[in-house]
Amino acid sequence: MTYSLLSGLRVLEIGSMLSAPYCGKLLADAGARVVKLEPPELGEAARRYGPWPGDIPHPERSGLFLYLNANKQGITANLETPTGRSILRRLAVASDVVVHNAPPADMERLGLDYDILAGDNPNLVMASISPWGLSGPWRDYKAYDINLAAAGGICEGLGEADREPLTFGTPEVGYFAGVAAASSIVMALLGRERYGGQHIDIAEAETMAGLYNGPEALMAVYEWRVTRRTGHHALDFPYPNCILRCKDGHIFVGSPEGRQWGRLLQVMGNPEWSQEPRLRNRTVMNNRYADEVDGYVEAWLADYTKAELLEIALEHRIPLAPVRTYDEVRADPALADLFVVIERDDTGPVAYPGVPYRLSEVDLSEVDVAHHSPAPTLGQHNRDVLCDELGYTGEELVKLYQTGII
Amino acid sequence: MSASTNGNGKTNGDGNAASANAGVLAGFRVLDFGWVLAGALPGMVLADLGAEVIKVETRQRLDYMRMGRPIVGDQPDPEQNPMFHNVNRGKLSVTLNIGEPDAVELAKRLAARCDVVIENYSPGVMARLGLGYDTLRGVKPDIIMASISSTGQEGPLRDLRAYAPSIGALSGLDSAMGYEGGGPLGLKHAFGDICGALHAVFAIVAALYHRKRTGQGQYIDVSMLRATVVTQGVGLMEHALTERSLPPRGNYDPTMAPYGNYPCAGADQWVSIAVASESEWQNLAAAMGNPAWAKDDRFRSQYRRQRHRRELDALLAQWTAQHDADTLTDLLQRHGVAAAPVLSAAERLFHPHFMERGLYSDIDHPSLGAEPIFNLMWGLSKTPSAVRRHAPLLGEHNRPVLCGTLGLSEDELAELEQRRVVY
Repeated sequence: MTYSLLSGLRVLEIGSMLSAPYCGKLLADAGARVVKLEPPELGEAARRYGPWPGDIPHPERSGLFLYLNANKQGITANLETPTGRSILRRLAVASDVVVHNAPPADMERLGLDYDILAGDNPNLVMASISPWGLSGPWRDYKAYDINLAAAGGICEGLGEADREPLTFGTPEVGYFAGVAAASSIVMALLGRERYGGQHIDIAEAETMAGLYNGPEALMAVYEWRVTRRTGHHALDFPYPNCILRCKDGHIFVGSPEGRQWGRLLQVMGNPEWSQEPRLRNRTVMNNRYADEVDGYVEAWLADYTKAELLEIALEHRIPLAPVRTYDEVRADPALADLFVVIERDDTGPVAYPGVPYRLSEVDLSEVDVAHHSPAPTLGQHNRDVLCDELGYTGEELVKLYQTGII
Repeated sequence: MSASTNGNGKTNGDGNAASANAGVLAGFRVLDFGWVLAGALPGMVLADLGAEVIKVETRQRLDYMRMGRPIVGDQPDPEQNPMFHNVNRGKLSVTLNIGEPDAVELAKRLAARCDVVIENYSPGVMARLGLGYDTLRGVKPDIIMASISSTGQEGPLRDLRAYAPSIGALSGLDSAMGYEGGGPLGLKHAFGDICGALHAVFAIVAALYHRKRTGQGQYIDVSMLRATVVTQGVGLMEHALTERSLPPRGNYDPTMAPYGNYPCAGADQWVSIAVASESEWQNLAAAMGNPAWAKDDRFRSQYRRQRHRRELDALLAQWTAQHDADTLTDLLQRHGVAAAPVLSAAERLFHPHFMERGLYSDIDHPSLGAEPIFNLMWGLSKTPSAVRRHAPLLGEHNRPVLCGTLGLSEDELAELEQRRVVY
């Protein structure tokens, strides 16, 4: 399901990979009309990222692109040409919102920065998502996901003490920047009557170093928590607070409350080791004897599958949680309505993650349930947008294509 | 009280930034039952953008985030948790013991004067208290209420005791994160809490936008699990399109090599380096002084570098180990190669780039004095996010909110305090 919260809103996205495309997706799924502008010929980078159906690479079938760009319209324009830039500027005049994650220096070089676009449209809300922000000594530094995770505080604590720090298994930082940008955009729109248009600066690294990991600095000042790498155990928590092996995989075992630990011990049959005086204080147990106790607990877990342990968790109100692989996540009936099936001729039906929040009061007559459209093929909506809205003739459209502008 | 806008080179220099920038959400009022982390963050964000956020809490059952070992003195003190100071800054605090029917009535009267209600009690608790959406809609027809939970207000996992690490496990996030060939390690951060809170903020402001045009209120159900699942795009699509479930692969990206954290001079110092294109590879080689090994046949194309990435990593590490992380970052970036040091919490606090942008502000708190509080850094050019006030003391605003906003008399307040309704 998509919602109609933002219906009537017009958004122009110049996005690649995660951050600006995810921002555009949040706005599109909430009812905005999002036009995505890509460079002609190659399109944006997510088209070359994959994965692909049947491992047959094709720019129109990259899974990451198809996921993040559903429900958008797609056009092409070569921004290195004056005509391409003029197309963007004319679209920005007709839009409420522009969101991009092109490098700030590129937008300035092309004459497509906020000051220029706001000169044409003072009510424009423009969000610039960049790795490090629009100011500061690192403004023009590059970054991919691992660099943002490294500076943002993800890597310092992830991994074994004697091995290299790790990052996320797949790119993640852009999602945080995307939702920060989407929220900021709607806030700016709420205040548009009072303040007019605004330029929004979202730094991907700061979504990690700020909201995500910001309080850690104060914890470090007070030496409240150790954030360095300590394998699958985190120091200074009461044991257990870790992922352990069970019969068919891994399970998170936690018990922050004493009574939860009491119930877990009871389910385990109140084992003898748990009576030892040195294992009475659970924080001491975690910091000093965790490996030993892992062995005891894993001996018990070895008899149970993840599914059985989830049943135990629900029945005894113990915080156990299976470490689910992606096939298990996609097969969870409780999440079935999170996924939306979108069909395209060249992919067949594919289930994509949908809107992660649920609303109760949207007038169902306003919800266009047929609104779900697959991600656009490259330049799919050139005619709709350039001819029907900007007024180019069919002949001009052909000429724009033949000269490599769209 | 101090105030600070975030950097962006646009801080109001008169030291009175908060009053100059009331915030884009000034005029909106939020009743915030949120606690611990996932529930506290949305109210914090809205307060940073200018909304008046009234945190409802009680001595009867303290916000867990207020507890912890004291920093000054040796007695437990609900005013000394630095995490609480971070995630509740900018809010007002009213103590209502909502186990008491009279306190529930006061909460309802407050809700009638609010635009948004936020809560993250276990599913069903608000309704049981007599503060469910249907009730609140009765006192304020266009109220927007957001419930944040671990696994949603409905469904078979609804009553699962679940914390941040549970969400990392259930969402698939943990399954692909770890050393190649090893097991999942789990994140030490509250990814699910933060992800859920951020999506709640988006849904709340989108609902406010909708209300402005239609007059319609909204009930919003956000689960940390769903919000985290949608960030697993690559992993979920991999399975949807190839039926493979990604295992832990260490520091890996299918389009890049090198891609990793490499050792630097000094104890436990690391630099992240990522190379996506042939030109970036040439630039990296140039930054290293074009060593002979970089011309090796095994590394002659992006394809070959991927195939031989373990050997590549080892050779690159021999070079990085001779230099410190900051030097390498600047050298590589000057050559057009993406690089950044692995920063610790303390290093982020004093990092020149983050300092110039104002990632942290020193905010005075009555119990602990000046503390570094992170800024949200949502840089709206005319109305940037700002830390507007230190986190409230427990019940600090009982009088202004209950007497001011609700219009109770001093005597009524004293009586409610005495009966531990306001408590």
